[in-house]
Parts: sequence; C-alpha cells; structure tokens
Amino acid sequence: MKQGGLRGYIIRRLIYAALITLGVVTVTFFLLRVGPSSPADKYLANMSARTQDPSQVIAAIEARYGLDEPIYEQYIDYVVNLARGDWGWSFSTSMPVMKLIQRHWIYSFQLILLSMLFSASLGILIGIYSAIKQYTKVDYLATFFSFIGISIPNFWLGIMLILLFSGTGLGWFKVYYDTGLPLFSLANLKALVLPVITLGTGMMAGYTRYARSAILDNLRKDFVRTARAKGLPERVVIGKHVFRNAILPIITIIMFDLSGVVFGGAYLTEIIFGIPGLGRISFNAIFANDYPVVVTITLIGALVALLTNLVTDIVYTRLDPRIRYD
Amino acid sequence: MNNNILEIKHLKTYFFTSRGVVKAVDGVGFSLRKGQNLCLVGESGCGKTTIALSILRLIDSPPGKIIGGEVWYHGEDLLHSSGKRLRQIRGNQIAMIFQDPQSSLNPVFTVGDQVAEQIKLHLGLKRKQAMERASYLMEQVGIPRARERMKDYPHQFSGGMKQRVMIAAALSCNPEILIADEPTTALDTTIKAQILDIFRDLKQNRDMSILFITHDLGTVASIADRIIVMYGGRIAEAGTAFDIFDQPQHPYTQGLIACLPDISAQRDRLTPIPGMIPSLINPPVGCIFNPRCERRLPICSKEIPPEVFISGEHLVVCHLYSPLASPQDRREGINNVD
Amino acid sequence: MMRQVSNKVGGLRNLIFIGVLLVLILILLSDIYLVDQILEPLEYFYLFFAAVAIFYGIYPLYANRRLTKYYWQRIKKHRLSVIGLAFITFLIVVALIGPIFTQDPTKVNFAEKNVPPVGFTVQQFVYDLQAEEFVVQEIPGTWQHPLGTDDKGRDMLAMLVSGARVSLQVGLLAVLIAVFIGTIMGVVSAYFGGVADMVLMRFTDIMMTFPFFLLLVFIIFIFGPSLVFIILVIGLTSWTGTARLVRSEALSLRTREFIMASKSLGASDTRIVFRHLIPNVISVVIVIATLSIPGVIVAEAALSFIGLGDPTVTSWGVVLNAGQRSLDTAWWVAVEPGIILFLTVLAFNFLGDGIRDAFDPRSQL
Repeated sequence: MKQGGLRGYIIRRLIYAALITLGVVTVTFFLLRVGPSSPADKYLANMSARTQDPSQVIAAIEARYGLDEPIYEQYIDYVVNLARGDWGWSFSTSMPVMKLIQRHWIYSFQLILLSMLFSASLGILIGIYSAIKQYTKVDYLATFFSFIGISIPNFWLGIMLILLFSGTGLGWFKVYYDTGLPLFSLANLKALVLPVITLGTGMMAGYTRYARSAILDNLRKDFVRTARAKGLPERVVIGKHVFRNAILPIITIIMFDLSGVVFGGAYLTEIIFGIPGLGRISFNAIFANDYPVVVTITLIGALVALLTNLVTDIVYTRLDPRIRYD
Repeated sequence: MNNNILEIKHLKTYFFTSRGVVKAVDGVGFSLRKGQNLCLVGESGCGKTTIALSILRLIDSPPGKIIGGEVWYHGEDLLHSSGKRLRQIRGNQIAMIFQDPQSSLNPVFTVGDQVAEQIKLHLGLKRKQAMERASYLMEQVGIPRARERMKDYPHQFSGGMKQRVMIAAALSCNPEILIADEPTTALDTTIKAQILDIFRDLKQNRDMSILFITHDLGTVASIADRIIVMYGGRIAEAGTAFDIFDQPQHPYTQGLIACLPDISAQRDRLTPIPGMIPSLINPPVGCIFNPRCERRLPICSKEIPPEVFISGEHLVVCHLYSPLASPQDRREGINNVD
Repeated sequence: MMRQVSNKVGGLRNLIFIGVLLVLILILLSDIYLVDQILEPLEYFYLFFAAVAIFYGIYPLYANRRLTKYYWQRIKKHRLSVIGLAFITFLIVVALIGPIFTQDPTKVNFAEKNVPPVGFTVQQFVYDLQAEEFVVQEIPGTWQHPLGTDDKGRDMLAMLVSGARVSLQVGLLAVLIAVFIGTIMGVVSAYFGGVADMVLMRFTDIMMTFPFFLLLVFIIFIFGPSLVFIILVIGLTSWTGTARLVRSEALSLRTREFIMASKSLGASDTRIVFRHLIPNVISVVIVIATLSIPGVIVAEAALSFIGLGDPTVTSWGVVLNAGQRSLDTAWWVAVEPGIILFLTVLAFNFLGDGIRDAFDPRSQL
C-alpha cells in the first residue's frame, strides 16, 4: 500500500510539473508578444537581409511562425512546435536551434556538475566540522569565510583569478577555455579549474552555512542524547544519527538553489572564461538578435530547474519516512 | 550488608550560562542497591534529571559541567573513567530511558534498527541475530506483532508504544541498572499504568535496579522501594514510601503531601506551598527551602542543614532534626501533618 | 511586540497617505497632458516608494520609540552589523553629495588614460612624438586622479561615486518593488485562501521556476535596457521569495487567537487585514528586504558588466567591463569597482544578518 501511495504521489507531481511547464511556456510567449518592436521583427529583418529573395523568406517565416494569425493560434502553434522539438532556426549560426543546443549543452553541464560536486562536498564537510566545533576558532573562521564567499560577486572573482593567473601574474592556468580539448582529459579538467573555483566559491560558502545550521539544529535534539546513552561512539552519533537527519534539509536547499544561483552564475562564468556553453551561446545570440536561441535557452533553464525540483521532491520523500504520500 | 551497586557522593553539576551559574545539583549523594527501585521525586527544575544525566556523563557540555563528586560503580568512579570505558557501560550495564519518546527516538530509522543498535554494539551479534533479539524484546514489553512492526518508523507508533520501544532498547543488553527519566509523564493515565506494570515486572522478575525519576507522587507510591525528595538541587528527605507518605518530616515534603488532592478529606481548597522555586543562580544562604518554610529557625538562613537519620533508613536534611533544635519545634511539625 | 504598532498607527495616517498619493497622481497626469516634464519617471518611483517607506516603515518606528529602541539595542549587539550599517551610511552619503566633489565620470580624456591610483607607478608604452617610436615611460599616480583612470581617461573615483548612486538606487527601489508586490501577494493569498490562494501560488511557482538571472536577461533583451526598466524588472522578478515567506507567516498569524478574537468583536475583514496582519508581517518583510538588497545590486552590476545595462549610466558593472578589457594594462580598473561592490554586498549581508537575529524572538542576544 505504501508503494501505491508513492507512485500516486509521483504521478501527481508529474502532472503538476507538466502544468507548470505549460505555465512557463505561456509566460515566455506572453513576454515575447508584449515586448515593443518585437524581436520577431528584428529577427525577420536579419533573416531577410541575408538572403537574395527577402519576400520569399519573409513569407516562409510568417507562415512558420504564424505571425499574421490571431494570437491564440500563434500560441497553440508555439506550444505545439516546442513539444515537437522544432525550436526554431538560428540564423547567426546557420543551424537549427536544437542542433546548436546539442552541440553546446555539454560544456555548461560539465561546468555546473563539477562546480556543484566541488562546492557541495567541501561546503558540507566544512559545515559539519564547523558545527561540531561550535564557538571555537575554527567555527568563527569558517563562518567568516563563508560570509566573504557569499558576498564576493562571482564575476569579479573570475576576473581576479584571471588577473592572478594570466600573463601579469602566475602563469599556471590558461585563462581562456580551449574547446579543442577532449572532454575526458586531464587537460580539460585543468582548464576548468578556474571557472569551477569562480562558480563554486559562492555556492560553497552558502552550503557551508546551510550545513552548519542543519547540523546545529539536530545536535541538541533528544535522539542524539539517546544515541549517546546507548554507548555509541561520538563519530557514529554524529555520522549516523545527526547526519542522516541533517541531510534532508541540506539536500533540499542545494537542489533548489540550482535554479536561482547556479544558472545565473554559470552564465556569467561562461562569458568570462569563454566557455562555449548554453549561457554564452545565449549571450551571443542576444547581441545578434537571434531570438529563437535566447527564448529556447531561457526555457531550457526553466525546465531543467523544474526537473531538478521534481527529482528533489521525490528523493526527499524517499529519504524522510515521515512524509505521507496521501 | 553492602550490596550497593551504585554510590553517588557529593555530586555537583553546574550550568554556566550568560545569566550566571546555575547550580542545578549542589552536593547530592545517595546509593542504589541491587534490585531496588529508587525514586527521585521533586518539582521541575529541582535537579533530578540532571543527576540522572550526570551519572552517565550525558550533560551537554557547554553550558553544563560536572564540577565535583564521585559516582562509584563496581569499584570505579564513572566521573573519572575513560571515554571508552564509559561507552562500554552505557546502554550495556547502565541503561537510560527518557521522558519524551517522540523526540528521543530518531525519526529516520526503523524501530527495529534502533532497538538492535545496542545489541550489535555491545553483544557483538550480527544483524540477523540482533534483529531476532530485538523482536523478542519488543514482544516482551508488550508490542503486538513485533516482528512486522520492527520495520516501522517511530512516527507510526502511539506514545505508549514508543515508550515500550525505548524500554525494549534499554533492556536489550540486560543492564544491571535502568535509569528512567520521567518515563510516564508524557503519556495518558491508562497507558501510564501499563508502563508502570512493566517496571514492576522488571524489578520482580529480573532483579533489576531502577532509578526512577518523576514529579508525580502518585506514581511513586505504587512502585518505590525508596524515595528521595529533592528540592533546589539538594536532597530534602529520603525514606520508604511509608516514611514519606505517612510520616514526612521535612517541611517541604509535608507541603507536597498536603498538596495532594484527597477526595475523602473535608477540605474544599488545595493548600499550595507559598512562595516560588528559588533561583539556582543565587540560591538562598543556608537551607535552600528556608524562604518558603513556615517553620524556619534563625539558623536556617545561615547554615546548610545536616543529614539526620531519624529511623532506620528515614533521612531528613533539616535543622529541625539537628541537635540544635528543640523538641518543641519538632512536635509542632508532626502535628501539622494532615 | 509588533502588535502594539497597529494600535498607535491609525486610520488618520492611512488618510494622509492616500492624500499624498492623490497629489502624486495629479502631478503625473499634468505631466502627461499639460506641462512638459515635471518629473522624470525615476523620480516618480522615488516619491511613491519614499511615501510608502515613510508612512509604513519610518513613521511606525517613530511612533513606537520604545519598540524601535528595543530592536536597536539588539542590533547593536552584533558588532558586524553595526559595521555594515556604518559602511552603508558612508556609501549613502558619498552617493548623495559625492558627485558635487568629483569630476565628470563620463569625461573622456585620452591624454590621461590608464593612470594608476596614487602611490602606484606603471610602465607603459607611449608613442614619443619626437623620437617617433614607442618608448617605455613611467606613469605615476597623481592626486588629480586618486584612484586612477581607465583606458579612456575617465576618472575612477568619479565613476565609482556615480556607480554608488546607481547601485543604491537600484538596490533600494528594486527591493521595495519586489517586497511590495511580494507582500501584497502573500497577504492576499494567505488571507483569502481558496481559489485566490491557489491561483496566486501557482503563478508564484511558475515565476520561481525561471532562473532569476536568465529571466532578467531575457526580459531586458525583449524590452531594452534603461535604468528605470532594469529596476522595474529586477523588482518584478524577485518578489517570489517574499511572497512565499509572507504567505506562510500570514497563514500562521491568521489562525492565531487574536484574529479570531477580533473577528468575534465584529471587526470587518479589511480592518483585520490592515491593522493586524500587516504589522506582524512587517518584521519578516524588513529582514527579507535587507537580505535581498545585495542580490539586487549584484544583479544590476552583472547586467551592466555583460553589456545589458543602461548605457547612459555609469554603474560599477560598466567599470568592471572596462576593467576586463584592460586587465593587462590597467589592473586597477578591474580591481577597484570589484572591491567596493564586494564591500557593499558584505555590509548589507552583515546588516541583514544582524537584523534577522534582532527580530527573531527566539534568539537570545
């Protein structure tokens, strides 16, 4: 019976997520149509400027995007197209948006993944240690550094790192990302060190604070005293009893943080270090007025965030036995 | 005739807070015999829980600290033994259960896991055997369908059942001493009675020594071999149930007994003890009860009263019974009891 | 504690507030239809939110001096937040009167480009007209440009002061907008419940799904960058957190006895909302607002940094952008605005932390 409840919950959650997706798409559409000198027009102008026969292209685009149809029809077309995987054509790179994304998503993915691994593991460890040794020098130091970490604007940190390690400073790391490197190579990893530090530092500082407060919340709980009264060694008390309870809010916060902080940070980091991820592509597209790219990447950002929240929700229900599925 | 298995001497546990030093336990000593059910009784804040926690050194170390005293168990002073030795004793030879079973059980682990944890640790059993034993213990304390329910989580049990789980866990390694800190306080009356039955059974059938802490005099009356009444971090009086209920000597104890509602009595008002619990940061000089005491003597606000054995095991800590007081003072005391 | 606020602050204040609003609207209308430009759009913003802040933020503090003093005592115990507050005050002063003392931040002077700050000397290749070749010349910092100049000869100090103005405007106004919207949505949602609650909360969920910065960039991309707009957009995209928190706070308050008691005494719905709910929610709101300011300031700086800021305005992000270009030749152009941005964010974080602890009745200080 418990399993059925879980499945029902997942299904309900999926339906909800689908609705939110629709909402997200609608809001995007709404924003596009409401804007002045709609980017569609600029897009149109750009596209037609690149061909010999503007009128044909204009006609094709109008037919494709249904620009002369009433709004609700445009909306339906829009949604249907998205669902079918037809995400438009990027004239600045002369390929379908879908293909553009397929080429570049991996760079964003590796940056974000590595940064999260780095910041989550270090952050949680420092947070735990800091909580256990509350009020000692280590704790104050860690808290101080985490304040600094969350206050440094990450794009400035990136520039400072470049300053430090580029020609005028130490020459340890190459500063601009070399796309020629094979993905699973050590050289690639080395090239990602500075970007990961840039993106990860702020995140790590945040995670340290969350982990510390989550552990502290649980340290004074009664069941910890019970565990000690059983004669369990301190490392088991903390490592098993406290940790297992603290991990719930920590994971939740880390995953929900993703859409807020991480994507924006990754966007900036890619631009500074020249990493050709989705953020940078979108950025280039903005200045080229290549709006299908911009729209799609914004949507992708929202959808990935949604998926992450969904997965986190479900994982949370598995981890916390107190949650009832009905 | 010394089958005292636990001897506590001059125990002092203070809490160092930003508002001052709270003298939660200020010079307490007593003994526990094999198979004896010893009850620590007193109002909230009188230090009884702190004593219990101090025995196993479970005091939260900032802000609390055991600053003095000895706790003798099988020839060693637990307050000065090594961490390793202490952990061998905890849960194994001296076990403890706490007041609120809801918060004392870890919500994310199954009940079976939590009962079996000690078994694996102290008895070295493998998981399967430990779980067998755990389920046996749970049956023993009266949890129906123990086998299946082992896989359940604490929140799926009622208050009384949770407390039984805790008891099962505490008993799992056959401890010599069981310390129970207000085990029935958070439970309904009917459940209270059932849990108390378990304790009675433990004493009779297993010859287990129990240190039972409560503020409820009624509970105490039915199971105690010996009662210690505490006030303000110190002992006021100690004796058998008969001594305490029938012939209380300490003015505080007398006040407590007088407070008990009695249907048969011809009174229409309860008689509370006037005044308030003293601040443990700046306790009154001399006898800690003296500001509220109706029979205080001048010496009470100057010197700490001596411990006097009135008869057999009946102990009173009061100047009225010291050599300095006159028989007349004492007589008035005995007549005052209702 | 804040409940007492609602007793002293009364209907008269609300009336005066509405009066001020009407005057403002009158000016706005005459601006559009009659006279030419009495006030710029930005200034309307200021006045409106200044009014809100004064009537619903500052006046209640003044009217309940004992309460204010109590909170102030608690905040003072956090040495760090007092330092933060001091820095912010300093920044505000600089932003307000600084431009009087500094040069024109937009004045371009190629003859004095890439001058280092005072105390530093830099070697540069300069074309010597006489020798007709590039020679190495030592260029020292001068007091004329205490913080140096950028690659176009603009005075750094002037640019940073101008940037302070921009950042503070953005910070305060955008947060006010976000908090304003968020609070209203949260309170309405919590109070009216039912369908309204569901709709508003689903909408909040949808907006929360968009990654903040991506959404910001997207909207600026569509609508174009201008300072007013940027402020508006940041405000319109950051209310979600506030809405959620306010709603949960209001929900917990809603069921508290004093509301029920008030209802049973016959008070009308709106009365209950304004006199009881809002003052209690205010303490939560103040904390959220203070802690949101640094994020907003950094968002604006990031936008300017990547080139999507208002081109007519010199903000710290713009300077950073210039700095990135001249990392090799003029490192100070990148370092200085970053330092001050960092310090500002740090100051607000300290202050916010202190305020949060001060307002939390559970923390003992």
